[in-house]
Amino acid sequence: MDLSLTDDQVAILDAIDTLTRPYAGASLHEAGFALPDAQLDRDLAEGGFLDIGFDPDLGAVSAALVVERLARLPQTVEAAASALIRPLLGGDLPRPLCLVEEGRTTRPIRFLREGATVLLVGPSGVSTFTATAAQVRPEPEALYGYPMATLLTVPAERTLHAIPASEVLIRWRIALAAEAAGLLAAALDITVAHVTDRQQFGRPLATFQALRHRLAQAQVRANGVRWLALKAAATLDPGDAALAALHAQESARATVYDFHQFFGAMGVTLEHPLHLWTYRLKALVGDLRGRGGQGLAAAEALWG
Amino acid sequence: MDFDWTDQETAFRDRLRALLADTLPDDWERFSQHGPASPALTRYAESFCGTLAEQGLLIPHWPVELGGQGLDPWHQTILAEEMWIAGEPRGGQYMNVNWIGPTLIRYGSPDQQARYLPPIAEGKALWCQGFSEPGSGSDLASLRTRAERDGDQYRVTGQKIWTSYAGLADTCFLVCRTSDDRKRGISILLVPMDTPGITVRQIPSLIGEGDIHEVFFDDVIVPVTARLGDEGQAWEIIGYSLTNERLGIPRYALARAALDRAVSILKAQDEFDGEAVKIEAAHCAALTEAARMASYAIVDRRAKGEAIGAESSSARFATVMAERRVCEFIVEYLPEALADAHPYLKMHHQRGIVAGIAAGAAEIQLNIIATDVLKLPREPR
Repeated sequence: MDLSLTDDQVAILDAIDTLTRPYAGASLHEAGFALPDAQLDRDLAEGGFLDIGFDPDLGAVSAALVVERLARLPQTVEAAASALIRPLLGGDLPRPLCLVEEGRTTRPIRFLREGATVLLVGPSGVSTFTATAAQVRPEPEALYGYPMATLLTVPAERTLHAIPASEVLIRWRIALAAEAAGLLAAALDITVAHVTDRQQFGRPLATFQALRHRLAQAQVRANGVRWLALKAAATLDPGDAALAALHAQESARATVYDFHQFFGAMGVTLEHPLHLWTYRLKALVGDLRGRGGQGLAAAEALWG
Repeated sequence: MDFDWTDQETAFRDRLRALLADTLPDDWERFSQHGPASPALTRYAESFCGTLAEQGLLIPHWPVELGGQGLDPWHQTILAEEMWIAGEPRGGQYMNVNWIGPTLIRYGSPDQQARYLPPIAEGKALWCQGFSEPGSGSDLASLRTRAERDGDQYRVTGQKIWTSYAGLADTCFLVCRTSDDRKRGISILLVPMDTPGITVRQIPSLIGEGDIHEVFFDDVIVPVTARLGDEGQAWEIIGYSLTNERLGIPRYALARAALDRAVSILKAQDEFDGEAVKIEAAHCAALTEAARMASYAIVDRRAKGEAIGAESSSARFATVMAERRVCEFIVEYLPEALADAHPYLKMHHQRGIVAGIAAGAAEIQLNIIATDVLKLPREPR
């Protein structure tokens, strides 16, 4: 076992940091619930960062590291599905890649828009299609940290992919966990900064144990989600993937409310950027039937 | 990143499992319900540790020149996991090989090493740690047991409490006060438990026979040569000991094994059929595996010779979360386990409930995470 990043992984993450540095100065105070950035998306795609999972030498662990790192940005980029699931499908499908579970196609879908690739996965297999304008209803009022849209119809004409749905679900769960790990870490960071600066009763909020212990527990959870996501990316085992996604969704549920609580009224304004991370976590909590869905998948994989 | 075990590590684990299967008595699972500190298990541990020593498996992580094989922290972790999953047949001796021995190797005088290391290496020693006092638990530096210097001797007076193994231990790793300076006034004495003036009283406990004691020191005469390190050096030495033991027992491994056992029993009884029980079991497994990985991240640092850092407290707390949820799962779904139907699960429950207390309270771990991992400003004192 060697849990250090490889030299390649260090170089990739450094390159991402360099590429994304100019975006760190973006004004966050006028963002809505989500902060998509088409230029950042193009830069990442052209830099090949979303194709790392295609390289067998780098593989899913490196792709998960990229997803985790990008999720820390306030901007939202469709990286998780592209980096981790697209390698199963082939590289020529247009991005963004939108994941939809069979039987749940009427739910709001992240990044869905005209021209996006929609991947439908379920008992009848794995298929994709390119969304047309007529099939998509944008949801600009959605309370989520992603651009969301609803799929109005599922076309009968779809490209079938000869891969088991189970493989897609494994990678979906890893993608979810890796993204949640980055979101949890970033939300925790910004909350830590706030309670360190903010003074009440003549001392920083961070000196009150009622907050300290809850933030420490959030650290334990964020750390656990990251490690489970990376391990699942290494093994591609259905049980590891389901446990990682379960822990991610449970940890999002357990921490998001606290993060907002610790900001007081500031945390319920759109002027403060906290929601750019937490309202993405809220969207991930419902993926693949939520914690119950991950729990049942994990139980099936672990104990049959 | 590589999450696989090496062939050598896998072979090491297999060897340990084979030895456990060959060595433990047929009624071991019922027998192991005796706490690790019980007279029965302590007696058994002496023979078991002797067998381990003969096979080179008692102190494989010690330096070669001291009888070990210099195996790395991954092997030490595998050893600790397999023993703890098996119900810890080494009894209280796990403490000797994990941190008391290494601490003596680092700080002990040649005489102390010659006297204490061979019995540990042969599996014949039993130590207790005189740390907590009635007024000093998490705040260890407030301890009041006094060692007054009198020529070549110390005169020790005071009281220790919650002391594991004290009833049968041959030696006490005693932390006591030699001056009023809060931390620099603390020293360590290695005290034979048959020294006149020491009285041990067992406290009946929820976690098994022989586990918790009070130890009274009334004018106990200890030669200065029994002091470990310098006067006032205890805080530094304890800090070193903790780097060997900061992760603590790999409780996540037994918690997962108990969970798997509970699920297999439920399945055999056709009771692992509802969604609620499956989902709750999965939550338990997610917590045990999160704790395992957080712990492995620390082992990885140790194996590379890096500073362990405060993240070990994060791994400790993750383990407490896992232990608690597995204990609660078994109480809820297999209540008969606590009434003796499943000795292995009962054994786990008795050991699991102290996860957040023994070797440093969970709340102290959270304080360390807050201050040293998250870098939050300290609480006012």
